[in-house]
Amino acid sequence: MKLAYYPGCVAQESGKELDMATRWVAKAVGIELVPFPSFSCCGSGFMDEANQVLNVALNARNLAIAEKAGLDILTICSTCQGMLTLANVRLGDAKIKARVDGALRPLGIEYRGTTKVKHLLQVLTEDIGLEAIRAKVTRPLEGLKVGAFYGCHLLRPADELGWESAEEPHAFEDLLAVLGATPVYYRGRVMCCGFPIQFVKPETASRIAGNQILDAQAHGADAMATPCPLCHLSLDAYQNRAEKAVGRSLDMPVLHLPQVVGLALGASPDELGLSRHLVSTAAVTEKVRARA
Amino acid sequence: MAVATVKATFDVYRFEPGKDATPRYDRYVLDLPPHTPVLTALLKIRAEVDPSLSLRYSCRSAICGSCAMQINSKSRLACQAPIGPELARDGRIVIEPMRNQPVLRDLVVDQDGFWQNYRKVEPHLILDPRLPMPEGRENPMTPEEVDRFKETPRCIACAACYSACPAVEADPAFPGPMALAKLYRFVVDPRDRGQQDRLVRIQTEGLWLCLRCHLCTEACPKDVRPSERIRDLKELAIAAQGATEYGSRHAVAFKENIRARGVLNEMKLARQTMGTLGMVGQIPQGIRMWRKKPEFLRAPHAIEGEGEVEKIYEALDDHKTPEDLP
Repeated sequence: MKLAYYPGCVAQESGKELDMATRWVAKAVGIELVPFPSFSCCGSGFMDEANQVLNVALNARNLAIAEKAGLDILTICSTCQGMLTLANVRLGDAKIKARVDGALRPLGIEYRGTTKVKHLLQVLTEDIGLEAIRAKVTRPLEGLKVGAFYGCHLLRPADELGWESAEEPHAFEDLLAVLGATPVYYRGRVMCCGFPIQFVKPETASRIAGNQILDAQAHGADAMATPCPLCHLSLDAYQNRAEKAVGRSLDMPVLHLPQVVGLALGASPDELGLSRHLVSTAAVTEKVRARA
Repeated sequence: MAVATVKATFDVYRFEPGKDATPRYDRYVLDLPPHTPVLTALLKIRAEVDPSLSLRYSCRSAICGSCAMQINSKSRLACQAPIGPELARDGRIVIEPMRNQPVLRDLVVDQDGFWQNYRKVEPHLILDPRLPMPEGRENPMTPEEVDRFKETPRCIACAACYSACPAVEADPAFPGPMALAKLYRFVVDPRDRGQQDRLVRIQTEGLWLCLRCHLCTEACPKDVRPSERIRDLKELAIAAQGATEYGSRHAVAFKENIRARGVLNEMKLARQTMGTLGMVGQIPQGIRMWRKKPEFLRAPHAIEGEGEVEKIYEALDDHKTPEDLP
């Protein structure tokens, strides 16, 4: 299948390993990623706080770019997924649509609202399908207990995003099970990673991140996995701060969604950029290698 | 016709501080029709099995807001939650008191903190004493003006949002979703004269600790959608006062950051929010990041069509008033 690839800012910068792993997995399962160098940032929830209509307009432009090419959009970030989908929803409001059209029309951009936005997790579990993925597993992640960490904007507000349950989703866990891993269910899996206030009050943000990691740990997780690179920053790059905030050593490897899939489908740790994490992923790769 | 019943297993949190060393879970198994509300089941347990079980309730009709509790970890009104779906998914129903409020006994929590946060936002009309009331008719509003806060009067102060909120859990400085949703209601009320003061004050009293995780919006039994009202408040606060706090500075810096190239420049954003001096404290973290992820120090390439982004900003990045909100 062919999709307009919307990597988002972080996967093109500090989270480059997410882009690497996505390209590997896409090739392995048969997704053609069509690049669009004209895509802008989704606003990440921050721009929305400064100017909602402007944020919707920027995303209307993004959606219109894919629409013109006749493609649906593939996101690899919970936040991009949320922002682009909510733009589609809010453009259903005639008042907002009129203001946005007023800004886009002089640029020759037309938004019609026919482009669907899908996160990689959704494409893997629904379009490619769990059975097709199961058939491609060459290195089952047996014995690896993984705590999925969804990221707020992939799930909520559920009535507007129209996909998974806001508080009891299962798509990620279903996928983990197909990969041979043992999914770990814990309350924190649908909670916030703290990232949005990492600049406002780092101690509070880090305590929130630490709470979720502790919860995953208490339920037996060897590793966490997330479909959101902002959650990844909070849980991996800032895990040292989380340790300080909760007063405990955590040492929790945190993988990006396509890294977990890639590992089970036979990719090497280098191909998935696992050495780019701040918390070592050696415990995961050793466990996987020992079983393979 | 007899109604089919299911075997319903309840694990109910029991704790009396001062008397019990630790909380325990008591198990009760009852045969009940699947549409039975959790509250009805708990009242049956209390009436027929264990009269010592403590809980708050009153109307049984989702109006009084007394019976909020955690049902299989979700903050809900017990009178509104049928047992069937909970049993179908989890096989049992774990009943616990609301989070983020100290337990007084069993399912009854101390709501003082919740109400103090509510009072702090002055949830009443602030009128200008110099302006006389219009003669004959009290402060009239147009239907469009009323529409701006159509969701918030539905709030029944059940505190389900407060219980679900990770910011309340992590930081006592956050007033909670309900207090902020109520504040929004008065800020956009055309009869209120306290708008500017309210917006300036809340910027330093917790507004920017909201994580926009939308857990409150999912927990709310009345669809008040507190997280969306808080988002509106943030936009209004920036319009009223400019970017004075880390939170508002970050939001405005983010917006300006994207204007330049169409994509985020991570390094520049940190500098814009924290200032050059604030960046000094970030150096150790920066070095850790740079060793593994050197790209974050580089400025990204501009997108194609960055001129279009600039034109969109020129058209829409104007001053914001309540009328401008979607």
